[in-house]
Amino acid sequence: MISETAVEAARPAAQARRTASRLLAALGPLLVLLVMFVFLWITSPPFRTPTSLLLIGLEAAAIGVVAAGQTFVILTGGIDLSVEAMVSFSGVVAAILIAGTNIAGGQIAFGVPSVVAIAVALSAGLAIGMFQGTIITAFSMNPLIVTLGFRSILLGISLVATRGAGINIQRDEFLAFITGSIDVGSLRIPMPLIIALAIYALIWVVLRHTKFGRYTYAIGGNETAARLSGINVNVVKIFIYGISGLLASVGGILVMGRLVSGAYQNGTNMTLISVAAVVIGGTALTGGVGGIWGTLIGVFIIRIVEAGLVYLNVPSNAKEIVIGAIIVLAVMLDVIRRGEVKWLRFRRRPAL
Amino acid sequence: MRAITKRFPGVLALSNVNFDVRRGEVHALVGENGAGKSTLMKIVAGVYTRDEGEMFFKGQPAAFTNPRQAQNAGITTIYQELNLIPQLSITENIFLGSEIQRGALLNWPRMHEQARALLAKLHLDVDPRRLVGTLGVAQQQMVEVAKALHHKSDLIIMDEPTSALSVREIEDLFDIIRELKASGVSIVYISHHLEENFVISDRITVLRDGMHVATRPTSALNIDTLIRLMVGRDLSEKFPKENIARGAEVLRVENLNQGSRLRDINFSVHAGEVLGIAGLVGAGRTELVRALFGADMIDSGKFFIDGREVIIRSPRDAIRHGLGLLTEDRKQQGLFLKLTMRENITMAVLKALTRGPFTSRTKETALAARFIDAIAIKTAGQNQLVMNLSGGNQQKVVLSKWLATEPRVLIFDEPTRGIDVGAKVEIYRLINALARQGVAIIMVSSELPEVLGMSDRIMVMSGGRVTGFLSRDEATEEKIMEYATAADKTFAPAVSQESAVL
Repeated sequence: MISETAVEAARPAAQARRTASRLLAALGPLLVLLVMFVFLWITSPPFRTPTSLLLIGLEAAAIGVVAAGQTFVILTGGIDLSVEAMVSFSGVVAAILIAGTNIAGGQIAFGVPSVVAIAVALSAGLAIGMFQGTIITAFSMNPLIVTLGFRSILLGISLVATRGAGINIQRDEFLAFITGSIDVGSLRIPMPLIIALAIYALIWVVLRHTKFGRYTYAIGGNETAARLSGINVNVVKIFIYGISGLLASVGGILVMGRLVSGAYQNGTNMTLISVAAVVIGGTALTGGVGGIWGTLIGVFIIRIVEAGLVYLNVPSNAKEIVIGAIIVLAVMLDVIRRGEVKWLRFRRRPAL
Repeated sequence: MRAITKRFPGVLALSNVNFDVRRGEVHALVGENGAGKSTLMKIVAGVYTRDEGEMFFKGQPAAFTNPRQAQNAGITTIYQELNLIPQLSITENIFLGSEIQRGALLNWPRMHEQARALLAKLHLDVDPRRLVGTLGVAQQQMVEVAKALHHKSDLIIMDEPTSALSVREIEDLFDIIRELKASGVSIVYISHHLEENFVISDRITVLRDGMHVATRPTSALNIDTLIRLMVGRDLSEKFPKENIARGAEVLRVENLNQGSRLRDINFSVHAGEVLGIAGLVGAGRTELVRALFGADMIDSGKFFIDGREVIIRSPRDAIRHGLGLLTEDRKQQGLFLKLTMRENITMAVLKALTRGPFTSRTKETALAARFIDAIAIKTAGQNQLVMNLSGGNQQKVVLSKWLATEPRVLIFDEPTRGIDVGAKVEIYRLINALARQGVAIIMVSSELPEVLGMSDRIMVMSGGRVTGFLSRDEATEEKIMEYATAADKTFAPAVSQESAVL
């Protein structure tokens, strides 16, 4: 439609507008976060304490890691609904190994060290994720259905293995370390937050500076073209679901370590929140567009809203209503921003 | 329509365009891609609203803000991509949105009866209860026309109606157009095939860069004048074919079979040779190149590169053995619209552009710059998103992606579809340059002049079989058509795109 001469003439203006809109898309969520932060800072004295801020950081860590995996999957145009079950499952697996509880319920004297237990749980998460990816690619199945099925399977296993109760454990040195904190000056920085941030930095490098990252965007942008460009789409996708499973397991360990208990409820709601965080962070549900830092911002937005509700004395039972509304709102903003809602498309003034 | 102006962000799509259609007239609208034909017609049909100017329909000022209003007023558009619902019956499609009811229930007998009457008028002998998806493209188009008749349209806009039709089907369509004309229906006819406009139209309007260039009676024009009006300059050569000495055999295909789609295909391509593949829609041309490229599975067949047998089971294998495929549908199968030019160009060779575990920005930039420069892609920079490029430049980006793999055999499926006349010649020159460097070229094309103009040798397909080879010297449109309709009796059912692996 656009003739070449016209493109030539309109270039600087169009380029500037594109840069501006991209900047807005990137900074929008950050602005929202800042506004909410400032609002709470002013209205709620208890919010201002370092402890409360670090608590938000700590609470953001586990879900943040889970959402990071979800970002990968959504970037390829898929979705992983099994993450919350994976959080529970990995916690239960590790807890059983550490506590040495057998299925019959009696305690065995010797559990394994937490390092070993965690390694097993993470490997299981990676393997199950890759297995889901294999099913999705080999049979061209809808990831929605496959991961929904695995959500049920994994929750079921967790429920059976724990017989509905939590498996309580003692923290050993390693577990105490990864769930503890480090003192930086007068601040106690929670270790899970550091782990989460390290994972985000690593993922940023992978997405921006490796073949694997480029292929992730390529598959989300145009899977057919990716295949015809010689990219082994199936292998990339299998690893994508593997990463999601692995990171959900890491999240599961962080939750389990904090609660000192592996229970099937450990991951409750995390699927919804992880998807919401990804979308709030500006990653398109259709795939191919977005990034990892947006997800981190999305996670903090959700956590601050939750904290805000507490500080503003909203009954905790009403929390779900607000979270649900935010998610619908975020997706709405997403489609509007992309100009997919015709009657809301911004009247564009001619640039000439 | 008087002094119509339409602006899009950054582009003046139409500037002071005047256009009129008389009752019972076939008015052809021509222009290169981006000239503003579709924009103008979308304003008529209520898809876009105009920024300036006036529009009158049947003497009354008209301003449609949505397609529904235009349709109710008597304007129907038949788009290139048909707007039918394949899972519904012919009747249901025709009456969609205007169902006849008896009380709260649908009055099926009356609707079927009316649908049958409409189809009879169009000489289409099919049961109106048949699902639209089971019809051929030509018949589907007739259903669209029937729908237009049902809405008692006074003006039917046909946007590239013949792009998927065979020569015979085009004749049938023209007969219908003549009948519609005789009954007082006006038609705006848009087609890239300039010859068709001379056969069917009464007047021709030429648009260029959003401006009205000329409106003349068809009888006062010839094809050269028309092209000059369209491009605003003389096209010294439409097909700048160079004679290049044929080298050694690069690729040979033996006994390739794929269900009923491809049967016993044997052929070879040599270095520096352009092998044109001609045939009607459904002849198996795209199926053949996809199978060759490993995109679809095959039942049997052998591939030889430089005389040595190779196994090609996936596009990865094909690329490793030096094949490249420019698909017929760039946006759906070739490009990453939301990625930058650089990322598109380096996609197939990213493995080679790394430093340790990381992709090397330096190497990527150098590679992209080399091709942007070598094949003259007009761009604001490597970081420009591919979605913002014109069709010709997008095709060059896909071409660059394949050139980066240093292919031995490059397959072009409809290389110039949706590309304007000026850019087409550039693509042809690039094909020449590649052949000169010893690349073997396979070119699938539905445009006979293109096949005749660019090929050293032409392979004609019909019903999934190769029905003949023609050398450049002996090939004519008539001979190609003769071979292309050769297997009509044993015609395999056309297989839809959905059944493909990708």
